[in-house]
Amino acid sequence: MATTATKSVNAKLVLLGDVGAGKSSLVLRFVKGQFIDFQESTIGAAFFSQTIAVNDATVKFEIWDTAGQERYHSLAPMYYRGAAAAIVVYDITNPISFTRAKKWVQELQAQGNTNMIMALAGNKSDLLDARKVTAEATQTYAEENNLFFMETSAKSATNVNEIFYEIAKRLPRAQPVQNPVGMVLMDRPVERTAGASCCS
Amino acid sequence: MTSNSTSTLHLDNNDNHDDGQNPITNPNPSSPKTSEESFRSLTINEPDDIDNEDSAALANGSMDPDHGVRDEIEVSGDLKESVPGAEAAVVAEIVEEEVEGPSEGSPSPSSSGYAGERGSSGGGIEEADEDDDDDGLTVEAGSDSAAWVAGKRHLDEDDAFMSWRKRKKHFFVLSNSGKPIYSRYGDEHKLAGFSATLQAIISFVENSGDRIKFVRAGKNQVVFLVKGPIYLVCISCTEEPYEALREQLELIYGQMLLILTKSVNRCFEKNPKYDMTPLLGGTEAVFSSLIHSFSWNPATFLHAYTCLPLAYSTRQAAGAILQDVADSGVLFAILMCKHKVVSLVGAQKASLHPDDMLLLANFVLSSESFRTSESFSPICLPKYNPMAFLYAYVHYFDDDMYLILLTTSSDSFYHLKDCRIRVEKVLVKSNVLSEVQRSMLDGGLHVEELPVDSSVSSGTLSPHLGQDRLAPDGFRPPPVGIGGPAGLWHFIYRSIYLDQYVSSEFSSPINSSRQQKRLYRAYQKLYASMHDRDTGAHKTQFRKDENYVLLCWITQDFELYAAFDPLADKASAIKICNRVCQWIRDLENEIFLLGASPFSW
Repeated sequence: MATTATKSVNAKLVLLGDVGAGKSSLVLRFVKGQFIDFQESTIGAAFFSQTIAVNDATVKFEIWDTAGQERYHSLAPMYYRGAAAAIVVYDITNPISFTRAKKWVQELQAQGNTNMIMALAGNKSDLLDARKVTAEATQTYAEENNLFFMETSAKSATNVNEIFYEIAKRLPRAQPVQNPVGMVLMDRPVERTAGASCCS
Repeated sequence: MTSNSTSTLHLDNNDNHDDGQNPITNPNPSSPKTSEESFRSLTINEPDDIDNEDSAALANGSMDPDHGVRDEIEVSGDLKESVPGAEAAVVAEIVEEEVEGPSEGSPSPSSSGYAGERGSSGGGIEEADEDDDDDGLTVEAGSDSAAWVAGKRHLDEDDAFMSWRKRKKHFFVLSNSGKPIYSRYGDEHKLAGFSATLQAIISFVENSGDRIKFVRAGKNQVVFLVKGPIYLVCISCTEEPYEALREQLELIYGQMLLILTKSVNRCFEKNPKYDMTPLLGGTEAVFSSLIHSFSWNPATFLHAYTCLPLAYSTRQAAGAILQDVADSGVLFAILMCKHKVVSLVGAQKASLHPDDMLLLANFVLSSESFRTSESFSPICLPKYNPMAFLYAYVHYFDDDMYLILLTTSSDSFYHLKDCRIRVEKVLVKSNVLSEVQRSMLDGGLHVEELPVDSSVSSGTLSPHLGQDRLAPDGFRPPPVGIGGPAGLWHFIYRSIYLDQYVSSEFSSPINSSRQQKRLYRAYQKLYASMHDRDTGAHKTQFRKDENYVLLCWITQDFELYAAFDPLADKASAIKICNRVCQWIRDLENEIFLLGASPFSW
């Protein structure tokens, strides 16, 4: 849950998705600016933090990079419980990982925090020739499910920082957001902003 | 420290054996003999010998689920394998011919199983030239496997490949319905037929109310271990004893439980045809690294852990902060440097089994993911509670040193993170981090530094300052390069009460990893024969072959395994063993973790 201070926000963010979708690669690109071609499987979940400045506020992300392995699925609630945001990651070259991503979205909708900001990341967008999941179909799915969707590439650093900034912008603040930016704001973030300002 | 400072190893031509002990049976130990025949045992009068056997075995913590059932299946060495691809059929024949063999319940001594040990392998498989246990020949065994890369090899192979069949040591895990779960070499899914064959052998014997332990076929030994719905099989032509191979299978099973807990059995209750391979996804490196450690890490057969040598006060400082953390609701706080313990503390009444430590350290060290950032991951300690997950917070302080905090609560990550920050502050402030790095560079005990004058026994010197101890009497140690005094090449000392061992650094005559592995295997064999349940545990053993003189001595307090130059004289070897024990006692404050319980310091 996002805890709010005057101009800094702590936000727990969880990454979910199938084995090999590129969750760890996205996080490492975002946090350390690194990319490793052969990223080892994550065990359990790895914890990272990264602070970014968005508009007037600083957002400190506490990131849980979970393991995609089947044996850890039942433990996922341990990591997404209380999260302010989730990035569900799939691999655009692997339809199975997209199916798996939809299941994660379903699970988060069913059990997660209703205020949770959900992003869908179609990773490995650099592998255009091997694409199996079209951006159009995913976009439709994302709109139906109130997710914001981006295709990313941890390898080429495309849209990696963008997706985290986008989440940061949508996070509720203690103070009303000064300039709501020219993006499409869903109903829910607006409600939440209002709610947060009530408490302040 | 409980070490019995009065234990001294005597031999018959020594001055004092007037207390009625049996004289040594080997009149001429120095005459060169060929391998097995040269075995001689030396009986020592230890007043409490017999009573110790069980307690020593208990201290080992080796569980023997097969206790009492000693049936064996032995296949004489006429197994031909001339036709590639016919392996399954050949193995199936063994079942038909030999399964009637086992005599119901009669405890045949396991040594009979080794009758064919050196037997003809007539027409048998030519083993692969490459000794695949040490894929990295450049590895500095005993220290750590920096050059050795974990992970699965030869994934393209299956049982139709000659190269696959020539591998010296295979490990398989399969389900009781014959589904492959893990194979050391090759793709599990391609080995479905082979797995089914192994399953058929096991269940055929089980159907007659019996249990298969091993099959010997020429140079190959096939060892089976049944753990509920999970079957483990090792096929090896490495001449390791059955007991050692079975223990290795036990460890592989333990490693699996560490990842999944025993509740995986429920999957098989629901669906006997359950495919378990996806559950172990991404753990190939964990298993390959464990299997690799079977050929270099003495902890895998000693059931003991080893500590990084450190000044007593340094270890105490580390222990104090870990204790502090443990008091705040952490079940175990473990500070390690590679495979060696810096300090370790358990919550009240919680004790950590050395095998669990081995498996935990292997799991952490072989998973790259832990090095990237701090992690919080469910793990199970099979000897602590095989049914339940604990939660492990893992953080690396530098390339080698890491902290593991274990808790029962799944939501205490932030607490453990705070604990780690506290620990780190103290470690930096009290110079533990830099002391640990220094000790890593200096290494452990060197046989060249063994004090030869036993009157010099100040226990305050750091082992790294060994030279200082050698000054009296003007005695200089033999120059580095030819081992220690009296041809001492290497030793391992295991303290029974502490569950800890200390192993000397490998020195010049045993340089290559191949030689180190050979010595290690010799120790393993020695260990197995010393702990043999059928012939009764021995107290001492003097063994000479073309490679070494090996001396083993077990008391109620410790076990000592020492390797000497093959031409070493027995009397002086024994004398040196006594020196080693004295040396260890003098240094115990630095090489062992003492007073692991919270109230002893």
